[in-house]
Amino acid sequence: METHVDHVLIVDDDREIRELVSAYLTKNGLRVTMAPDGRHMRQFLEANTVDLIVLDIMMPGDDGLVLCRELRAGKHKATPILMLTARDDETDRIIGLEMGADDYLAKPFAARELLARIKAVLRRTRMLPPNLQITEAGQILAFGDWQLDTTARHLIDREGTIAALSGAEYRLLRVFVDHPQRVLNRDQLLNLTQGREADIFERSVDLLVSRLRQRLNDDAREPAYIKTVRNEGYVFAMPVEIKEARL
Amino acid sequence: MSTRPWHWPRSLGSRLLLILLAGMIVAHLMSFAVLFSERYMSARQVMLGTLETDVATSVAILDRVPAAERPQWLPRVNRGNYQYILGPGLPGVPEMTQRGRDIAERIMEASGGRFPVTVESIPGDGKRVQAHLTLSDGSPLTIDVHPRMTPIAQWLPYVLVLQLLLLIVCCWFAVRLAIRPLVALADAADALNPNAKSQPLDETGPTELARAARAFNAMSDRIAHFVAERVQILAAISHDLQTPITRMKLRAEMAEDSEEKRKMVSDLTEIQTLVKEGLAYARTTSGEGEKASRVDLGSLIESLVYDYQDTGKAVSIVENAGGPLMTRPNALRRMLTNLIDNAIKYGGGAAELSVRRDRNAVVIDVMDRGAGIPEDKLEAVLQPFVRLEESRNRETGGTGLGLAIAHQLALTVGGSLTLRNRDGGGLVAEIRIG
Repeated sequence: METHVDHVLIVDDDREIRELVSAYLTKNGLRVTMAPDGRHMRQFLEANTVDLIVLDIMMPGDDGLVLCRELRAGKHKATPILMLTARDDETDRIIGLEMGADDYLAKPFAARELLARIKAVLRRTRMLPPNLQITEAGQILAFGDWQLDTTARHLIDREGTIAALSGAEYRLLRVFVDHPQRVLNRDQLLNLTQGREADIFERSVDLLVSRLRQRLNDDAREPAYIKTVRNEGYVFAMPVEIKEARL
Repeated sequence: MSTRPWHWPRSLGSRLLLILLAGMIVAHLMSFAVLFSERYMSARQVMLGTLETDVATSVAILDRVPAAERPQWLPRVNRGNYQYILGPGLPGVPEMTQRGRDIAERIMEASGGRFPVTVESIPGDGKRVQAHLTLSDGSPLTIDVHPRMTPIAQWLPYVLVLQLLLLIVCCWFAVRLAIRPLVALADAADALNPNAKSQPLDETGPTELARAARAFNAMSDRIAHFVAERVQILAAISHDLQTPITRMKLRAEMAEDSEEKRKMVSDLTEIQTLVKEGLAYARTTSGEGEKASRVDLGSLIESLVYDYQDTGKAVSIVENAGGPLMTRPNALRRMLTNLIDNAIKYGGGAAELSVRRDRNAVVIDVMDRGAGIPEDKLEAVLQPFVRLEESRNRETGGTGLGLAIAHQLALTVGGSLTLRNRDGGGLVAEIRIG
């Protein structure tokens, strides 16, 4: 039996929120350390490592975005970051993801939701082979006739027309594109593409794959993008090129 | 006022044109008439004057020359206005007008009272007058008078018409000059959109217009400022509310499970939604807009519907004539989300989508089979915080902002949102773009 207890660092300037979150997470089996600001966070991370950092975006002094960028540049660049944004707003989400956060949660949030997200991020980062993992968001992933905008979460064709993706489609495509030329089995795909909402009604992986093929104009009998590997799963056959987003 | 048989034209332009033209034409005709009558009076004066001196001489000559020589003299004494006839002349009626008396008096005066004169007007021949007198040898002499003006020049009416035309053209130009800036102002006011920084009015031109343009630009700046301020206030309030709401939610979650806790969590969720929607509404009216891009509408609709289906919601596509569309994808998505949420919440739990092309426009219908909305409320519910009684009383009562946000967003993408009751029951929300 595994004895590892996930260690989460919570950085938030509001004492009460910090303590309430900490109490809830501790009650649910996590080890929690609290830091009221960037200075305390740095101090703690000098000598310790954690499994995940929860970072509030609005803080006096260095705000969450600054700290996030700093973490991504330092020795903790592999530590997943979950951003707490001030409001459910596109710009905050986009900025957070561009700064390299793995996920975000809008305030006011429910503690149970935060716990679910933390677990999802941890699961995701552990599932992924680290050498292939793309942590820097805000990039354009180009393959075949398509470009995938990872901040806006949509496809762009050669003429510049946007093709929208559903949440599940995006997550699945993202897993494929992050692991090109690697056979992924259905369990892996299902785990990696699981949505955030706890009560999500999951489509089967096969249905999602067929929808994705349709979206990519991929011929189901002779697929060029997502190939079926009999008895094993699927493989993304197209080479993927990472481009900086043009702003 | 409406009973007047003649209607005052509707537009300021025609009214100004009418006033200017009528005034100038009347003034013009009056001066023409004054000139004309002045000319007439002086011509008459001249005519009567000549009659006096000329007739005296002529009558004296005719009286002196022997009767046989008189016809030879006639051409020399005849004038344009009057001729001499050796004879009793035509029968007439006694002339009683002032004019006739004038003429008779002058002829009598001219003849020095030596010849008795009777003046008669010849009926049926205009103003023709004949003066009968008897020369000293007893033979009758008639002076045939045709009082007439020297004819006015032929070209005079043409000049008059030309002048009137000139007047019309000048008036039209003047009126246009005055009206055009007004039209521009009205256009600018119509196009005024505090959401987008619009082109300011041209502040050059005549002083009054420049002033009006400046005032208008200043006003539109003020409006933009007020709107921005409102958004800022809302944003600040909603932001500052988020921390206490977060704390309360966390605290509620830590509490023991109870009815109290459940109620508190649901109240908090309500407050949270209100804050979020209020901010979203303020943002949409202030048009903190995204850029328009070319979007494949079919995929947008499909992905949206799949997202609903993936969370177990009954949302389906009836018709999807997608194709590319220039629009703001997030605004459109938000609009549709609000309408679909409404259909699910109040419209019987299921929503159907249809996308069709109507000439150049794209029409997206979100339909449900709920109770619909009373006809007289169909427009009102698009206003913020307007809710139907039923939804207000229900547990699910929303913020009253969902439709208002969708309505605002429809306007910002250059489209429209209309609601109508569906044949066979239910509601149709129609988004029309382009």
